[in-house]
Amino acid sequence: MNEQSSQAIPPTILTTSCPGSYRLKRRVSQAVLYLLLILGALVMIIPFAWMISTSLKTDQYVLTIPPQLIPNPATLDSYLRLFELYPIGRMLFNSLFVAGLTTLGQLVTCSMAAYAFARLKFRGHNLVFLFYLATMMVPFQVTITPLFILMRIFGWINTYQGLILPGVFSAFGTFMLRQAFLTIPVEYEEAAYMDGASPLTIFLRIILPLSKPALATLTVFAFMGSWNAFLWPLFIVREQTLMTLPVGLATLQGRWLTEWNLVMAGTVITVLPMLLLYLFAQKYIVQGFVMSGLKG
Amino acid sequence: MSTKPIFVRVFALLLSLSLVLAACVTPTAQTPTAQVIEKTVQVVVTSQVVVTSTPEPAKPVEITYYTFSAAPDYLKELDQMIQLFQAKYPNIKVKVETAPFNDYFTKLQTLIAGGIAPDVFELNYENFVTYAEKGLLLDLSPLMMADTSMDSKVYYPRAMQAFSYNGMQLGLPATFSTVMLFYNKDIFDNAGLAYPTADWTWEDAVTAAKQLTDSTKGVWGLHSGVQFWEFYKKAAQNNCKFFNDDKTQVLINSPECVQALQTMVDFVKTDKVMPSAAEMGGVSDGDLFKSGKLAMDVTGIWMFASFKDAPFKWDITVEPGMATKATHFFANAASIFAATKHPQEAYQWVQFFTSDPEMAKIRVDSGWELPALSNPAFFTDYLSQTPPSNRQAVFDSLQFAVVPPVIARQSEMQDGVNKLLDQVMLGQLTPQEALNQAKPLIEGLLK
Amino acid sequence: MVVRQRIFQKYLWVGFFLFPSLIGLLVFMVVPMVSSLALTFYEWDPLIPTRFHFQGLQNYLTLVKDTNFWAALLHTLFYIAGYIPLVLTAGLGVALLMNQKLVGRAFFRGAFFMPVISAWVAVALMWTWIFNPKFGIVNYLLSLIGITGPSWLYDPNWAMPAIILTSVWKDIGFIMVLFLTGLQSIPQEYYEAASIDGAGNWPRFRYITLPLLSPTAFFALIISLINSFQVFDQVWVMTQGGPAGSTSVLVEQIVNNSFRYGRMGYAATMSWVLFLIVFLVTIFQTRMQKNWVTYE
Repeated sequence: MNEQSSQAIPPTILTTSCPGSYRLKRRVSQAVLYLLLILGALVMIIPFAWMISTSLKTDQYVLTIPPQLIPNPATLDSYLRLFELYPIGRMLFNSLFVAGLTTLGQLVTCSMAAYAFARLKFRGHNLVFLFYLATMMVPFQVTITPLFILMRIFGWINTYQGLILPGVFSAFGTFMLRQAFLTIPVEYEEAAYMDGASPLTIFLRIILPLSKPALATLTVFAFMGSWNAFLWPLFIVREQTLMTLPVGLATLQGRWLTEWNLVMAGTVITVLPMLLLYLFAQKYIVQGFVMSGLKG
Repeated sequence: MSTKPIFVRVFALLLSLSLVLAACVTPTAQTPTAQVIEKTVQVVVTSQVVVTSTPEPAKPVEITYYTFSAAPDYLKELDQMIQLFQAKYPNIKVKVETAPFNDYFTKLQTLIAGGIAPDVFELNYENFVTYAEKGLLLDLSPLMMADTSMDSKVYYPRAMQAFSYNGMQLGLPATFSTVMLFYNKDIFDNAGLAYPTADWTWEDAVTAAKQLTDSTKGVWGLHSGVQFWEFYKKAAQNNCKFFNDDKTQVLINSPECVQALQTMVDFVKTDKVMPSAAEMGGVSDGDLFKSGKLAMDVTGIWMFASFKDAPFKWDITVEPGMATKATHFFANAASIFAATKHPQEAYQWVQFFTSDPEMAKIRVDSGWELPALSNPAFFTDYLSQTPPSNRQAVFDSLQFAVVPPVIARQSEMQDGVNKLLDQVMLGQLTPQEALNQAKPLIEGLLK
Repeated sequence: MVVRQRIFQKYLWVGFFLFPSLIGLLVFMVVPMVSSLALTFYEWDPLIPTRFHFQGLQNYLTLVKDTNFWAALLHTLFYIAGYIPLVLTAGLGVALLMNQKLVGRAFFRGAFFMPVISAWVAVALMWTWIFNPKFGIVNYLLSLIGITGPSWLYDPNWAMPAIILTSVWKDIGFIMVLFLTGLQSIPQEYYEAASIDGAGNWPRFRYITLPLLSPTAFFALIISLINSFQVFDQVWVMTQGGPAGSTSVLVEQIVNNSFRYGRMGYAATMSWVLFLIVFLVTIFQTRMQKNWVTYE
């Protein structure tokens, strides 16, 4: 891997008037680079190609031995059947709604808390931060039953707030944003601070805009965590009208029998919105980092 | 360290202990008592007025029915049944809640822990004993006795017995299924062998299987899983039981059981007619059978729908035996939660759902499992459906049905025994060693 | 007096920024966590929720003697030892590659992130086929170079390595995104200044990229450790702890005890011992970060 990292050329390096052998060497290493990337990408994608291919197979050919990659015949029947068996539209809406609000909630609460940890160095902040970390260390499979009982006390069983709120408060998000905020040079705020700006102004005008990549990343992860969540929605949702995609589609795995083409079709439907979100958010994650010179 | 976290922790501890207790207080249902009022009016002599408090006009009641077998393929049929039921009992509304089988009991447990258990829920036999033993199920006997239209003989007796516990009827059987020997007729024809019959022993099966196994084509002679459920049945076929009758002694390592296990292992290791788990590589035996790579498969009648479109002829017969015959009998019950607020209404749903003739017709016509009813008239349609043609074998096998050995700590016992069986199949233990280890393991769970 | 006002103001700000997150965490995480801690001193069957059978320290003593627990701990540690180095180096490598101007950069980034957004159920099925001893891709490729592949998921010695490989495949994209985010926050000026001073690729990487990436690396390490101690989904779906218990891990034992054996007090005990281990490891890493992590 080290050979590759030595090829890590920051985008702004220009190649002007390089000697010929150097150019050839660069071409070869570029080719090797692309080859590796394509191989890597294939390894990543082939299972998904298979997933899509299985979703297009007819019942008879789902599990032929040995398995075939190209479905023949190919059919959209699995997707049609899914729409017959399940209220896909409603489940999609629920998933979007829940994931969307969860993500918003995480962005707001985690960025605020991260700012407190990164900049408002208060007494005992390390301990409180450790406390935050500690909440990630107990497996949720054990806290889920007491949490459920708590929701029962609040009367939030089978409600949107019961579905959404427990997922909003994330130590992971806070941790990630704290790291991101810590890497912002303090000089940027000092000027504003001198001018008497309040922490809120600094937070909104300086810290947040400079953290777009981290915020975009958190958006993706928070959305993804909520979108794919299974156990909590399984417990808390008691009616079809509130069901999210993973829970709703889980009954495709029967006690004795699983129709894999249907399961894969369901998976494709579930994965698509996430993929779109990621591609969209990518632009922000790897936005060129433009720093207006504030040095000195 | 600041005091805030400590205070919070103590408060939370108290809060959490109290919330668990608070969550579980359920008021008992009040039963209206008949009142007799005699009233005499002195001046005007009238007849004595006897007033009995009339049963209040039935208030609309909603009950929840939690099930794993309806979704996703039979929700329409379930809905039809509910419509029929609600036509008969307009004041009772049945609300359905579903979960996939693999997560069904996890969720049920959580609902019960949270104090919001469903009124009626589906139970398979292996979980029934756990729930019965913990007092979670309502005794249906008084309700059945008060119900003049109920005749318990309408149910298949073995199924009724399965769900009675300590003299209480804790569930009514909703469906039953059996495990049969499925065989691929085309493979047998091509080899010129006679089809399996109900008299076969496992020796007969292995003899045939040896001629049918063709490793060049990847075809195997037979498959019969090596796991807890298959093992106790094979043990029973060899006249061996895991426990003595009152479950005070564990007999799992007696010679007959060891022999039964050895026979199972031999299918793979010495006879080489059955693929090992590695050789199956994640493909289920059902899928193997369906793709024509398996001549004989021991599996359940729930596979009929799946095998229906198989591109070859197939049929079933009673599973082969050893010293004697023993077959599986599985049943699912509809049980009522002991602390339900609507015992009467829940009972009416359960009674309808398990015994109503129209319900039975819907089940049989749609292929949604067999109702556990004793009247053969319900099954004439079932018997005439094909494939397979020998559906009568399903009922024939009932005479040899054995009851599974179920204890309160069932899951732990199954996991422990299955792990030992795995080790035998991997060659890490001999059958005798494995069963010798199983004995103290199970004894520990019985305490 | 002005100073006191200042300090009071500061704590007001701390409260403002920290409170939403902290309150939510307390209610939805800490309360259930503390309940579960209390449960470790009891025998509690969720099916009989009003019955608490006080055990004192008995659960902990039983745990010490429980061979299933120690086996699970061993397997979890083995998983961590294989997974962490692989996923972090591979993730970093890919991130560095993705950080350059490439043709089809968006496509590659999407490809590498696809496994991350999918749920384990579908992924597990595909990998069960990939690792199929007879006709899976892995053994096929091995046969091309003359090696007979093992039975992977059906061989007690190779099942865990198979799970490790699958997990690395799934999470590379996650680590990649984390590092990409970190790379974005390295100001270009540093690279420009370095190239003006005549520094080559490797010194640029060693003296600019690595140090400025270290907060991200620290974060990635901690998160990966915390998550991998709690590995569960892939084991549950691919091997169910088998064959013969060779892939049984801590959270799998916890889930069995809470949801299948009705021993939630005991499961809670296991969880808190797991917590202790993870906590100590995290503290250790946090202390060590002084040696290699540089903040701006």
